[in-house]
Amino acid sequence: MKFHISRQMIYILALAVVCLIIVFVFAFAVLIPSGKEYRLARMEAKKVSYQVDVIQAEYDNVYEKLKALQADNRHIIGAYKTIFNPDRFKKMYEKHFESFTLSELSTHSRDGEFAVYEVNTSSLIQSPQGFYDFLDAVNKSDNITGINFPIHFERDANLIKSSFTMHVYIADQKSKTAETQVEQ
Amino acid sequence: MRYSFIKPRQKRLVSAEFQLLFFFFSITVGMLFASYSYLKIKTIMYESNVETLLAKEETLRQNIVDMHEKIAFIEIEKQHSEGIYTANTVLKESIHNLFDLVPEKITLSQALLKEDELVLYGVTPSKEVYEYLLLAPLRSIFHRSYTSYYAMPNGWYSFVSKNYLDRELAVQ
Repeated sequence: MKFHISRQMIYILALAVVCLIIVFVFAFAVLIPSGKEYRLARMEAKKVSYQVDVIQAEYDNVYEKLKALQADNRHIIGAYKTIFNPDRFKKMYEKHFESFTLSELSTHSRDGEFAVYEVNTSSLIQSPQGFYDFLDAVNKSDNITGINFPIHFERDANLIKSSFTMHVYIADQKSKTAETQVEQ
Repeated sequence: MRYSFIKPRQKRLVSAEFQLLFFFFSITVGMLFASYSYLKIKTIMYESNVETLLAKEETLRQNIVDMHEKIAFIEIEKQHSEGIYTANTVLKESIHNLFDLVPEKITLSQALLKEDELVLYGVTPSKEVYEYLLLAPLRSIFHRSYTSYYAMPNGWYSFVSKNYLDRELAVQ
């Protein structure tokens, strides 16, 4: 039996082989690498997503801690930022004294992160109780104020003349100058 | 005039077999390109997503560092303010105790309180009253006490009492 292959059949077979080669070349040279690339990108995305989830959880924890700390220490945080106003201070605390005068606020020193300003005060009190009440009240003031030595008491007729130094502490983490921090 | 008994076949530029071959290969190539495009698009989307996530991660990390700094600073503020409030309270108690220490028979005219020093000026009916009622308790608090007396015309004594705390001894 004679097997006859026509010219057209040869063309078709040749074309089929060429197309098949193109398909294989495309599959192996382009499709499979891009599949690998896709798989790697997907794995990387999952890995990074997991990392971000972990960091987000840590962020949430730290944020909660910060908010709780800020809420618990609202007064202290505000007090360190509050501009010291001698007139307001005098108005608030003169009720404890017969007379109460404050000197000008002057830059004194630094205490770690805080700028320390010094105020000299002189006052007249009827009894030491006025001074005790002042010391109690100053711990609740708008500023962080420390009463410092030397403290001098002197009898003046029926009154007690007292003079002492106060230190006002202001947080100046961003190195603000005294002029911007303290309202003279 | 007809020369053949069969009808002539219509001549085509591309035969039916070729068309079939083209059709199937076109579908195959189309599917391959569709798969390739899908993989490429998804890869680009994942890469873009990774970039966004990495930027978010960096921001979160920076925010965490900033928040830790804020927390540390609040802790410092808290400790510092507590120290000052405590010092004020201790000062109040110290002055309270000092004035409670002075007996009714002795009248103080001046008191100077320094960090390690207390100077008292006053009047006492006698040296003994001062020594028993005021000097004894002062000696129990301070390391060194010196008193000078000045006789007054009415027989009483004005006194100056200087009392010192020695820091080295206080530490021990």
